[in-house]
Amino acid sequence: MAITRIIFPRLILLLFVVLGVAIITFTISHLIPGDPARMIAGDRASAETLENVRRNLGLDRPVVEQFTIYIGNLLQGDLGTSLRTNRPVAADIRTFLPATLELGTVALFIALCLGVPLGVLSAVYKDGPIDQIARTVSVCGISMPVFWFGLILIYVFYAHFQILPGSGRLAMGIVPPERITGFLLIDTLLQGRFDAFCSAVYHLILPGFVLAFANMGVITRQIRASMLDVLQEDYIRTARASGLRKGVIIFNYALRNALIPSITLLGLALGDLLYGAVLTETIFAWPGMGTYVVTSIQTLDFPAIMGFTIVASIGYVLINLLVDLAYMLADPQIREV
Amino acid sequence: MNGSKWKSIGVALLLASTPLSGAIAAQDVLVLARAEDPPTADPGVEISNSGYTLIYAAYERLVAYKGASTEVGPELAESWTADDAGLVWTFKIANGHKFDDGSPVDAAAVKFSFDRLMKLKAGPSDAFPVLKEVEVVDPQTVRFHLTAPFAPFISTLAVSGAAIINPKVMAHEKDGDMAKAWLAEHSAGSGPYRIASWERNQSIVLDSNEHYAGAKPALKQVVIRIVGDVSARRLQLTNGDADIIEQIPLDQAEALQKDASVVVESNPSMYVNYIYMNNRQPPLDDPKVRQAISYAVDYQGIIDGIMLGQAKQMRGAVPSGMWGHDPQGFQYTYDIEKAKALLAESGKSNIHLTYTFSQADPAWEPVGLALQASLAEIGIKLDLQSVADTTKRELAANGKFDLAPGAWTPDFADPYMFMNYWFDADKMGGPGNRSFYSNSKVTDLVREAGSIVDEAKRKTLYVEAQKLSTEDAPYLYIMEKNDIFARRAAVKGYVYNPMLIQVYNFGTMSKTE
Repeated sequence: MAITRIIFPRLILLLFVVLGVAIITFTISHLIPGDPARMIAGDRASAETLENVRRNLGLDRPVVEQFTIYIGNLLQGDLGTSLRTNRPVAADIRTFLPATLELGTVALFIALCLGVPLGVLSAVYKDGPIDQIARTVSVCGISMPVFWFGLILIYVFYAHFQILPGSGRLAMGIVPPERITGFLLIDTLLQGRFDAFCSAVYHLILPGFVLAFANMGVITRQIRASMLDVLQEDYIRTARASGLRKGVIIFNYALRNALIPSITLLGLALGDLLYGAVLTETIFAWPGMGTYVVTSIQTLDFPAIMGFTIVASIGYVLINLLVDLAYMLADPQIREV
Repeated sequence: MNGSKWKSIGVALLLASTPLSGAIAAQDVLVLARAEDPPTADPGVEISNSGYTLIYAAYERLVAYKGASTEVGPELAESWTADDAGLVWTFKIANGHKFDDGSPVDAAAVKFSFDRLMKLKAGPSDAFPVLKEVEVVDPQTVRFHLTAPFAPFISTLAVSGAAIINPKVMAHEKDGDMAKAWLAEHSAGSGPYRIASWERNQSIVLDSNEHYAGAKPALKQVVIRIVGDVSARRLQLTNGDADIIEQIPLDQAEALQKDASVVVESNPSMYVNYIYMNNRQPPLDDPKVRQAISYAVDYQGIIDGIMLGQAKQMRGAVPSGMWGHDPQGFQYTYDIEKAKALLAESGKSNIHLTYTFSQADPAWEPVGLALQASLAEIGIKLDLQSVADTTKRELAANGKFDLAPGAWTPDFADPYMFMNYWFDADKMGGPGNRSFYSNSKVTDLVREAGSIVDEAKRKTLYVEAQKLSTEDAPYLYIMEKNDIFARRAAVKGYVYNPMLIQVYNFGTMSKTE
């Protein structure tokens, strides 16, 4: 019951969020001085050509009418056609979004696998050498610019030792698997393409690690802080006094409670990973949303900008919903309320 | 999972990693790495050089630039004639040219391609302002009718937009789009290559076209990889994963020159950097003020300091690689005393101007800073205003600026591209006259030169127009930039043509090694 009570209002809210985002993005992108027709037909296009391009794109109509048409199409699931690539925006997003999501998910996985144990160790052995190392590593992660760290890794592992690829999603000679989900790790396995799967894994290592590193730092610090809080609690002392094993105390009692504040952080981190992907994607020539959006903004490709913003806002709302649901699973008190 | 399964995974991982060490592509595959994905490959729509790379490889035109020269010679057309008035042009199409599906290139295909171009009426159609009709005389003969004489007509037939497209492409038409969506990422031409696959923002594969009429290319495949970061591109080149890389900053080009396995191609281009001075805006409406500013620019300082020598000062509007350039033409020099004297003559003081630029060209900001420093010497205060490129274009097109940098490359090989666009009083704003310059004598000269066919006469008119306009100093003529890219030394046979920036003669290139 409680779960439906949470989900329903959120889904209704989602509609309003999308509409609000659509209005704001549409207004802003039309307020920016600049003429997409000029970007498409060329700087030196004659007045007639510009007029013709504007007419074809519907840019000659009043802004309100353009907006109504856009929303009408949107409700039918049509995100419009990109001004720059002449392809449907939905097709462009289907092409690029899985690459970004795949990289983001892998990065989150790496960040959790490294960040959580490091945070726990760091709290348990507070001020010891492990703690010092963990803290140094997390400060490095937070403060090192992605473009710099990424290039260093490319230089070391790709250029110098030549053991890891430095760009793209697959090795040159490998034929990409047929597109089912767009996630290479899934598509390759579905089609039994083990060679392509391995190549995809190899190509994920460096960008995944670079993207994970900054978030790992945040996760480590958060886990460490909340572990330290929890370890001070009375029930931990009681557990200790009862002679429970240290491992049981740390993992069954302390960590479970310390993880609750980290769930919000995970939601934020996921958003961060998608946003941080822009730089990582550029450095690793990763064909994801980041590059697409930046180019679209530079060329005032309204439908592409709108499409991305709407998809991203839906994503954020859904992530928030997941975070709330995860809270309920982790904390019975919230479930009861 | 048992032990042997783990072992097999380990072996598979090892195998998967081997292409890395053997990453150097085969001898018949060329890999080009560049920063951005071409928007489309549609000759009727595309206006960017990165799109031209594909269009020139996949299509042929009636005429083509001869090797490194800006003159055109036969490609699909084996010969042509024009009537005396220059209004009717008849082309004889050579036998044996075939599209990549094996169907012949004939007069109907030529008519189809130009009808499509003019119906789409996007950017590329602007190269054909006077095209009235294309008529099929017989399968091998096609006739172009013009509404008015247009001197550069024959050279406009060599541009990307004039590519001849297989009419069968209409099978892919959707909602009356003239196959625009399909041609955006496929090709239907008779050139040496065809687009085999296009993974957006990742890679484009060009396979050789088995029906190509010319000599069989040594490179069976060309792969264009999109690598956004310049350092990553550079590492791919030095590692041998890429054979050609584009968009290299000048300092990196200098560093790459020390690598013996790499050749940095730096060639004089017709890509000019100049600065629009708003001739309608006081005090810039006074020629004396514009002349004073023209004398206050440290041209050589900009070329040596900002361009590391990879450019040269412009002399008049027509660049040195184009016919119609006047090697004896007047050139402003860096002369502060003269600038001060001219400013005093003008009677203007306390001048405060704004330089509106974007980051579209990396030289624009440092050039602005240099300008700010040298104008300060003659008492002109210059503010730098950085805006988004779309905004800058809009402000420039609408004349809402004092000074703004610009970059210009010719679409077709004719001084018309500079003179008529920059100086005709009817082309103010976006179309080309971005300084809003108006001199009826100059306008008459360039219009006459644009409508007659006699090249010697045209040259005289253009030289005269350059002389007059340079005196009026509507623009600051900064520099002709070199076109720079790097290739592995093993790549042979590249021919640089200043009209074809980012376009390669893949069909006649090869790789040793």
